[in-house]
Amino acid sequence: MGFWSFFFIIVFLGLTTQWYGTNKALKLNSNIKEGPKLPSLPSYYGTNAFLWLVISVLLFLIVWVFSKPHILDYILIQNIPKALIDEFGGTPNMLIDIIKATDISNIFPGTNPIIIENALYYNKIDKLSDSIAYSIILFVGLTVSIFSINKISFLFKARQAVEKTNINLLILCSTIAIIATIGIILSLIFEALRFFEKVNFFDFLFGFNWSPQTAIREGQVASDGAFGAIPIFSGTLLITFVAMFVAIPIGLFSAIYLAEYAKPSVRSTFKPILEILAGVPTVVYGFFAAITVGPFLKNFVGEFGFTIASESALAAGGVMGIMIIPFISSLSDDVIRAVPQNLRDGSYAMGATKSETVKKIILPAALPGIMGAVLLAISRAIGETMIVVMAAGIAANLTLNPFESVTTVTVQIVTLLVGDQEFDSAKTLAAFALGITLFFATLFLNIIALRIVQKYREKYD
Amino acid sequence: MAEKIKISTKKVNVFYGDKKALENINLEIPEKKVTSLIGPSGCGKSTFIRCLNRMNDTIDICRIEGKIIIDNEDIYSKEIDPVLLRAKVGMVFQKPNPFPKSIFENVAYGPRIHGLAKSDDELDELVTQSLVKAGLFQEIKDRIHEPGTSLSGGQQQRLCIARTIAISPQIILMDEPCSALDPIATAVIEELIDELAKNFTIVIVTHSMQQAARVSQQTAFFHMGNLIEVGRTDQIFSTPSQKKTQDYITGKIG
Ligand SMILES: Nc1ncnc2c1ncn2[C@@H]1O[C@H](COP(=O)(O)OP(=O)(O)O)[C@@H](O)[C@H]1O
Ligand SMILES: [Mg+2]
Repeated sequence: MGFWSFFFIIVFLGLTTQWYGTNKALKLNSNIKEGPKLPSLPSYYGTNAFLWLVISVLLFLIVWVFSKPHILDYILIQNIPKALIDEFGGTPNMLIDIIKATDISNIFPGTNPIIIENALYYNKIDKLSDSIAYSIILFVGLTVSIFSINKISFLFKARQAVEKTNINLLILCSTIAIIATIGIILSLIFEALRFFEKVNFFDFLFGFNWSPQTAIREGQVASDGAFGAIPIFSGTLLITFVAMFVAIPIGLFSAIYLAEYAKPSVRSTFKPILEILAGVPTVVYGFFAAITVGPFLKNFVGEFGFTIASESALAAGGVMGIMIIPFISSLSDDVIRAVPQNLRDGSYAMGATKSETVKKIILPAALPGIMGAVLLAISRAIGETMIVVMAAGIAANLTLNPFESVTTVTVQIVTLLVGDQEFDSAKTLAAFALGITLFFATLFLNIIALRIVQKYREKYD
Repeated sequence: MAEKIKISTKKVNVFYGDKKALENINLEIPEKKVTSLIGPSGCGKSTFIRCLNRMNDTIDICRIEGKIIIDNEDIYSKEIDPVLLRAKVGMVFQKPNPFPKSIFENVAYGPRIHGLAKSDDELDELVTQSLVKAGLFQEIKDRIHEPGTSLSGGQQQRLCIARTIAISPQIILMDEPCSALDPIATAVIEELIDELAKNFTIVIVTHSMQQAARVSQQTAFFHMGNLIEVGRTDQIFSTPSQKKTQDYITGKIG
């Protein structure tokens, strides 16, 4: 039995179960002339049976998917002659990989016939095992659905049972999401701890020199590497600052314009345009920064007798600011519009002009929400990678001059991990230390931002 | 009535888009008296009152025809700045809408934007006086720097009245000012309206006929965008001349 025939049989079985369960409940109900009927609506009995069928089938399917490779490997090893295993150094792992990778429909001439034979054998047990597993699962499904249809009686409260199953499914899904997050954080932490075995924590956090080149091979002439992250943090902050310098005024003012001044027709053209800006992939902004803005700035600033690096914090930060404009303007637009109309009316009725109303009533009322938007935007800017990779360079200069080339945490993570590296060299592990720092910084910003936004939401009620 | 006429409207039509909300309204409102507007909901009372301080200008689709004369000036003529007009014609809304600022700042808002106080002391005095006139000062004098939204509904509404009288308007418009309040707070506000009528021309929209009878000297009855009848309050409620008015005050339409 192939997967698709299995799949369609299951779908058919599911629909039948649902239909049959509902029908049985309907019949039970119609037999009752007087007195209490089934405690739940008939369709709940069908749904209950259906849910149990789906859950049991999925459960067994997952078990099969995970255990299949181990079972097949075991069977395969039994079939391989001992001599061949010895030929491959006594351990069968490599041999198994070769056998599995052999394409039996297009065999390479000169392949060891025993390997071909085993590849065919593997192919056969692969198909056979699937068929057997599917049949077993089908049998289980059938049993479960018969069992749950049999359960339909006047004592069984299907509605409550369905409710409970639903809740458990929802809990299961959210647990998976949470576990995945925790897993990622833990792996970051463990790798970072390994880094801090090699490099002192405080040297990392407060060191002024970042040059992560370490000797790859023993005896190679290279520095020991220095892992003082201050230049990287300062570079990140500098670029973020430039970005915010561009994004906050433009984003905020366009939000005020959209929310308070624009006619509905203008609004309905401008908003989508801003949203398109938000949908442009960051890599596009990246080459815009590197190819257009960088050289332009170089010429422009040159006119005034200054020099600017072709990969400068100004170019990267400026373009990143443009990227973030829609983020700020759309969030601020929402919070400004959330300011109740009756506050505006109250202000106009006092003889205030529109701009007085905006300045004295609307912005103060919306300020917490706008702050939240700005903090979210900052955490976005800190985490942005592509633009800086392409436009800001990788030199870890400790400077506050936006005309110079700086680097950021995300860029360093990329450069540390790209290329051939041992996975336990200090250089590679440094990426995890940077990653966890970045994680905590943005987490912190997001928590504050969400707090502020929440507090602000409750205010008008 | 022999009083001086403060506001008079001539052939006023109001449209929301294509929909006519008011038709041919001719109404005269006497100075330093209370005029109440009654009528079933949706009949155009709010629309009318919002014409008197040009609040309808803030609604894009709203269009108005005819003349509204206040103190011998057509308020819809080109020379009139609606912002200045609204300083002269104050408004109190149905739902109390204090600004999310302190009690003091709420009242100081108008004087500040119109530059009515030359010094901080003068501003303090003006704010206190307004709160006194609105009958709120005694209750809140210890917490004048607390947020206006921390007051009770009735107090918030009186704060809005204080805020309005702080810029010394000549006319105060009130759109169902008590409909969100309990009976006790309502009674307090009604008393306040009596008091205010000594100094201000007041136009009040109300859905309660008892309230109209209690607070106003003149009553106008609106029905489906038309002004059906206007006259002395006691006369409207005892011997209305129109059948529709009779039906409304006896509860047959509503
Ligand atoms: N902003 C608006 N846009 C469109 N129609 C409106 C608007 N405000 C009021 N109307 C319409 O005008 C009519 C009068 O409304 P309104 O003046 O609020 O009545 P009232 O205050 O007497 O209950 C109603 O039919 C209402 O639907
Ligand atoms: Mg109304």
